[in-house]
Amino acid sequence: MTATITPPPATTRTAPARKWVPPWRNPWRKPYVLATLTWLYIVWSLLPVVIAVQFSFNNGRSRSTWQGFSMQWYCCNDGSVFEDPSLTLALKNSLILGVATVLVATPLGVMLAMGLSRWRSKASRVANGIAMVPLVTPEIVIGSALYLVMVNLYQFVPLGRPAMLLGHVTFSVSYVLVIVRSRLLSIGREYEEAARDLGASPLQAIRTILVPLLMPSIFASAMITFATSLDDFVVSQFLFGDASNITVPIKLYSAVRAAPTPALNALASLLLVGSFLALLLAVVGLRARKRGAGGSVLEDMADFS
Amino acid sequence: MWLTVGLGAAPLLSACGDKGSASIEGGKAPYPLARPSHPVTLSIKDSNPPIDDGLEPESGGDFKILNYSDYMAPGVMKAFGKKHNVNVQVTPYNNYDEMLAKIRAPGESFDLVFPGPSVLSKMVYAELLQPLNHSYIPNLANLWQEYQDPWYDRQARYTVPYTIYGTGVLYRTDRVSEVPANGYDLMWDKQYAGKVYILDDLGEAIGMSLLRNGITTDINTGNAEYVSKATDSLIELIDLVDVKVNINAYSEIPEGTATVHQGWSGDAIAGQYYLPKGVTPEVYAYWRPDEPTERVIGSDVIAIPKSAQKPVLAHLMINDLLDEKIGLQNFGWNGYQPPITKFDADFLVKEGYIPKNIMNAVIVPEDFDSGLTFYEVSPATEALWRNNWSRFKAGA
Amino acid sequence: MPDPKIGHDRETRRLWPALALPGTFWLIALFLVPIYAVMAVAFSDRINLFGEPIPAWNPVDWQFGTFSTVLQESVSGIYQEVWIRTAIYSFWALVICIVVGYPVAYYTARLAGRRRGLVLALILAPWWINYITRMLAWVNLLQDDGYVNKFLGLFGFAPHSWLNGSSFTVVMALAYGYLPFFIIPLFASLDRIDGRLLEASRDLGVNSVRTFWAVTLPLSRLGLITAIVITALPMAGDYYTNTIVSGSPKTNMVGNQIELFLLNGPQKNLGASIVLLLSIVLVFFMAYYLVLTQRASRDTR
Repeated sequence: MTATITPPPATTRTAPARKWVPPWRNPWRKPYVLATLTWLYIVWSLLPVVIAVQFSFNNGRSRSTWQGFSMQWYCCNDGSVFEDPSLTLALKNSLILGVATVLVATPLGVMLAMGLSRWRSKASRVANGIAMVPLVTPEIVIGSALYLVMVNLYQFVPLGRPAMLLGHVTFSVSYVLVIVRSRLLSIGREYEEAARDLGASPLQAIRTILVPLLMPSIFASAMITFATSLDDFVVSQFLFGDASNITVPIKLYSAVRAAPTPALNALASLLLVGSFLALLLAVVGLRARKRGAGGSVLEDMADFS
Repeated sequence: MWLTVGLGAAPLLSACGDKGSASIEGGKAPYPLARPSHPVTLSIKDSNPPIDDGLEPESGGDFKILNYSDYMAPGVMKAFGKKHNVNVQVTPYNNYDEMLAKIRAPGESFDLVFPGPSVLSKMVYAELLQPLNHSYIPNLANLWQEYQDPWYDRQARYTVPYTIYGTGVLYRTDRVSEVPANGYDLMWDKQYAGKVYILDDLGEAIGMSLLRNGITTDINTGNAEYVSKATDSLIELIDLVDVKVNINAYSEIPEGTATVHQGWSGDAIAGQYYLPKGVTPEVYAYWRPDEPTERVIGSDVIAIPKSAQKPVLAHLMINDLLDEKIGLQNFGWNGYQPPITKFDADFLVKEGYIPKNIMNAVIVPEDFDSGLTFYEVSPATEALWRNNWSRFKAGA
Repeated sequence: MPDPKIGHDRETRRLWPALALPGTFWLIALFLVPIYAVMAVAFSDRINLFGEPIPAWNPVDWQFGTFSTVLQESVSGIYQEVWIRTAIYSFWALVICIVVGYPVAYYTARLAGRRRGLVLALILAPWWINYITRMLAWVNLLQDDGYVNKFLGLFGFAPHSWLNGSSFTVVMALAYGYLPFFIIPLFASLDRIDGRLLEASRDLGVNSVRTFWAVTLPLSRLGLITAIVITALPMAGDYYTNTIVSGSPKTNMVGNQIELFLLNGPQKNLGASIVLLLSIVLVFFMAYYLVLTQRASRDTR
């Protein structure tokens, strides 16, 4: 008979019996309260917008009583976004202005960031200070100042798209500056110096080394500029001049207390789609260029202080 | 050094403005102030001649109108745009101050503007408007006789009347049990708190307060004490009934957002088009003083800005608006009567444009002989009214 | 050994200022000069026939009559209530922001674990949603027959008129509107706290609450102050929020007065004076913030 070989009693070291610690004394407990609070906040923050989008599909004129599903406010009915030329014009103006602002503000801001971070002198500190002030200036001050200067001094700049572009770029440059500069500081100078050692001219070094390294920040700042421009209300309201330059926020504002229909909700939803599409495109495009850089873009956007 | 150059350049740059930028002394107006008893013929300057006869209408691009919102029928604008292949666009304003700010903004050009007699002389003096060429406007003959040669613009040199209206109080009959003899008191009635509105127009609001409180029947007064007392009465409304200001009586009364709303006669007539489904016009009514001499009457006019890019088209649109068919179509949408001879009260009622309980919103020529109207006042008086209005708007 | 001349030769030394020049010039022409224009209009001495001020570009011509009137009215006259109201609304909205925003930022930065990306994306989402749209959404909900009243009706509350000049609505709307902007710098600052410091504190037996007070809060102080400044300053100039959720002059803030004078009337010198006054009041906060950030960036360099 084969004796079952019993393994020798293993010298196990069991963990000492854990004393039950009440939740409020356990530093490693799950953060239920905070988690609930955060999720409640997220719902409070986003649910109204979701409902507003829902009502853009309302089958009826009300914006507070659901009357069934319909696409009538988007297309092809008389009051819908695509049939009402003023609404489509507003959408078009917002998008064009946003893209134009990005195209002007991003290079301007990136160059400014590069220049200011490397240029060491009293003048650069002054320039730095000037560049930071728009970030903390209330929009109404910026808007009023731009309006007064356009009407009284820069009279060769007509109100409307030219003036609005100038205004949007002005407050966007500071955002670009801050985002790109923080990344610049963390990159350091070794790469450029290595390139210079290898014989590159300063411009070449910038173009081939620095700019690619800064790409995540540049993309992040471009997206933030686009979003801020699309969202801008105050500066646009002061500078738009006449109806052909109205942007979506202005249209929404002027209509909200008049006799609005769900077409407004539809317009707002379309703008939302535009912003998120831009965000998506940028993140996807960035991921394609550099693996794992998408996450850092999010951090960059959150990190710009 | 650069600072001085910059400072020196600045006045040069800003001097490229219009004549209106010149400063005035002592608050007196350098332009004539028209009154029915002292009619005014506005001058036509060589520097600002009317366009020539027989020009071809422009085509393509935008046709820009500066107007109150919802004041011209979309159908009329669309048809005009189609006929002449232009995109008709309306830039809205809430009151004449906004209108003046927009029309004077440098680089702006509008093809048609809708001011009123109380700002006309000023605009002509500042060369903001161009004289009309009547050869393009044969439909002038359709107008009431008085309006082919009005007191504020003899020979209709710069303007053509657009609408005539009265100012009163719109109210919901289903919520207002009793209308006092002084109907303006409806707005001071606490039981309607939260749903009381006055017009976002400093002239109309303060003028109404002057009349309601019996301070004076001169709604153009320059008496500082009167205007101040009237404004104090308006300020009471803020705490008393939570008053709000806008010019949307035509939609807010029928929809029920407002219970009492100071409004124009056109709002009362147009209100029928904003009723929710299944609700009849009996649900609201229009009050105005019984005495014809106590009623406030006004008119808006059409003019062509000097900066118009499409002046010929502008003339043609004016002609269209005076046409009987198009004028009626416009009226059927915005509710404001054009002073076209054919459209007397009987005609409009017969054609079914006036709900039976809003008959008192129709204006007849006699109203203008007896009623109170806003004239153009001196800059000093304007400043007085404006300062008081901003007191009210500060919510103090 | 790196060549000490590289990076300091004349080419490079001229390059950086050249790069910075377009941006700096832009900001001077379109930020500093406009501020000067505000002063030129506020201190103007003449009015044209439309009641508009003619700007006084030369400081020699500056007249302080209008500005001192505005100052007087703000301290003890018709605008006093407006300023006080603006301060009160901003204060309470900020309180709500701190009470709601700090825990949310803390959770997202430190405790979200695997869900962090998702939570962060959802927190950042309002940044991409138009501010006016978000207010429009609340107007829908707060109407007399909207979901809020219907929800309250379930508990037997009578429908309340939220959109009629209610200060409560305005404060809540301000908090709602500005919270996303408040959370972000706070998040960034909390994120940067070295986790090991907190672990060390826990290892030493300090409970969570005391860890928070003694370690986390001081370390995040800069972020909190940045968040407050970045939110309070724009909020002080806000005028569209209360116009949208309350049409009444009873809830007017300073921004509404500015809008009234600059856009809806010809007395732009009054508007410009109020803008100047607002800027002066806020400049103390602005300067404090700038000093803090300069100091912080110097620390990290």
